[in-house]
Amino acid sequence: MTKTNNNSIPDKSNIQGMILRGFTHPYSCHLIFQFNDKKGAKSFIKSILPYIQSAESWGDLKPDIMLNIGLTYNGIITASDLSETYLEYFPNSFIEGPTSAGSQGSLNDWGVSDPSGWAFGNDTDEQHVDCVVHTYALTSEALALIVSIVSDAAKANGPTEFLPVDNGTKRLEEYALMPRNVVHFGYLDGIDQPDLVWNDPADPNDSGDLRNFLIGYPLSDAGPGPTGDNPAGDFAKDGCYNAFRMLYQDVKAFDDFLIDNAPRAPKEAQQTPEYAQEWIAAKLNGRWRNGSPLELSPNAPDVATSHATDFGYKGDTTGMKCPFAAHTRVGNPRDEVLNPSEPSPVPRLIRRGMPYGAPPTLKSYDGERGLIGLFLCGSIATQFELLYSWMNTTNFANSFPTQQGQDGLIANRDMPGADRSYNIPTADGSITIDSLPHFVITRGTAYCLLPSISTLKSIAG
Amino acid sequence: MANPLTLYVPIKQDAVSQAAAQLAYQNFVKSVTTGLDESAIVHYARVALIPNASGQGTYAILLITTFDGPMNPYLGFFWKNPSTQQAFAGIAAIALTPPNPPVKDLTGFENFINKNNLSKSASPGKPGDLYEAYTKTVKEITSTAKELVLPKQSV
Ligand code: HEM
Repeated sequence: MTKTNNNSIPDKSNIQGMILRGFTHPYSCHLIFQFNDKKGAKSFIKSILPYIQSAESWGDLKPDIMLNIGLTYNGIITASDLSETYLEYFPNSFIEGPTSAGSQGSLNDWGVSDPSGWAFGNDTDEQHVDCVVHTYALTSEALALIVSIVSDAAKANGPTEFLPVDNGTKRLEEYALMPRNVVHFGYLDGIDQPDLVWNDPADPNDSGDLRNFLIGYPLSDAGPGPTGDNPAGDFAKDGCYNAFRMLYQDVKAFDDFLIDNAPRAPKEAQQTPEYAQEWIAAKLNGRWRNGSPLELSPNAPDVATSHATDFGYKGDTTGMKCPFAAHTRVGNPRDEVLNPSEPSPVPRLIRRGMPYGAPPTLKSYDGERGLIGLFLCGSIATQFELLYSWMNTTNFANSFPTQQGQDGLIANRDMPGADRSYNIPTADGSITIDSLPHFVITRGTAYCLLPSISTLKSIAG
Repeated sequence: MANPLTLYVPIKQDAVSQAAAQLAYQNFVKSVTTGLDESAIVHYARVALIPNASGQGTYAILLITTFDGPMNPYLGFFWKNPSTQQAFAGIAAIALTPPNPPVKDLTGFENFINKNNLSKSASPGKPGDLYEAYTKTVKEITSTAKELVLPKQSV
């Protein structure tokens, strides 16, 4: 089959920054828009384009304010000049979007997460999203400035903004007091990311190769798409998809769950009630809350392993160290032997998300909290949605003939046929939790393309 | 949860395409068995040729399968597998309306399958059109079946 587009090394100045690196600016806000018309969409993009941050090094001069831009398929239809023929070259999952039956087969936003209750992104006319602007800043004043630049540009050019949060500015923004890289359930996050290497020849066993994420340099005819020397391939080249998801976290349900189930932890973990809760939390995630993977530190968290990424699951075929359905074991089963229908190597995701809402320690805050999920991939179907489907139905590995309950942290427990039970093997027999609660509820989703900077310029005109 | 695919593709009427459809029909089971066996997610797959109203020749190819889990993430498997890729690419090649984009890579394949799929999987708020008598997966059924095979009696 054809191998398409030229394979020269991409120009970092043409790639949006967040694709290649996680921004460490302490303040960020993610603004969600629906365009009004083509002219307004183009001039909106034109007016915010001067603030775009590419993947080029900024040296010692870290920008005070900067942004990245995502466009949904609808947004591309409205803002771009691509003809209908070439619009159809985008992958079906991107075209149809997250509420389509195809995507919902993996996402499974049933019951509490039903798209009809989303704050943005369901398939009604009022709710469809065209554009997400990710703004970053070094100080709160700088964030206010970049947010007002973007929202003023929207007001002047027609895009309508969604305000999805029920308190504060109502925008999806990081809370200043939230500790870096900690998500609301108290876990350290952002530890393991694909290495985004570019080796020639490519290592077929490295699913972290940049060419699996960045459009235009396919290592095989599996994509990422659209491929080829055609207007769609050119439009998408140097871009990457972003499955943008607002995930409400029920911190109280999570804390209560740990408290209620801590007495079931084995004797060795009953040093204090708090320690027993830590043990349950680790068994749900596959890493202790300090980051230590259960595979390397099965009995206690350890500073030395808190950022460890070099380990596998092959030696743990009983789940005695790490339960099969623990979030990180499902999200990246590493060397686990998978079903023949599953891809090898295991696909990866670039995770660029951050929490919204105040840390649970701030007792005076009664607004909502959750994760601003930015899941970057070259293929929504075979990377993001595949992993999501594993989380909802953990039957992907050869080592377990039947489903192993659901992902401990994020699965949808209302999906038809959901197996809500959770099994924690121990030396003294299994601890079976009959029914995991909903810890995470979907509040909105938009599948975006983070186009190249030259594509954004061509849209702006 | 099982999901349905009902791929309905009207085909060209020229003699070569018509003969290719007949051949695809006759060889179907033989050609896809290895790929579908390997996948271990497909319950049943069958093909039918829909005749022209005149009774002469074939109007469309109909391919019906029921499989475990979502469809799109697993199309990569069927695209990579030479036997199933050939079967699907063969259908695409004789389609009356040439697929756009062409079925030359996984994206083209994903789009071709979705555009021509008449079935609807159930999704939140929207009922599907598949009846299921049981919820077991192929993997569960075949692993139970293996357990049920009794050891050979020594005579
Ligand atoms: C509110 C929702 C979520 C929470 C609280 C959460 C939390 C975490 C934590 C604490 C880790 C371990 C840190 C690390 O390995 O970097 C992690 C890893 C990971 N998560 Fe999530 N996550 C959430 C949603 C998701 C979703 C929706 C996906 C995608 C389908 C996902 C995919 C992953 C992956 C792929 C890893 C890396 C596993 C590895 O490489 O070992 N997460 N998550």
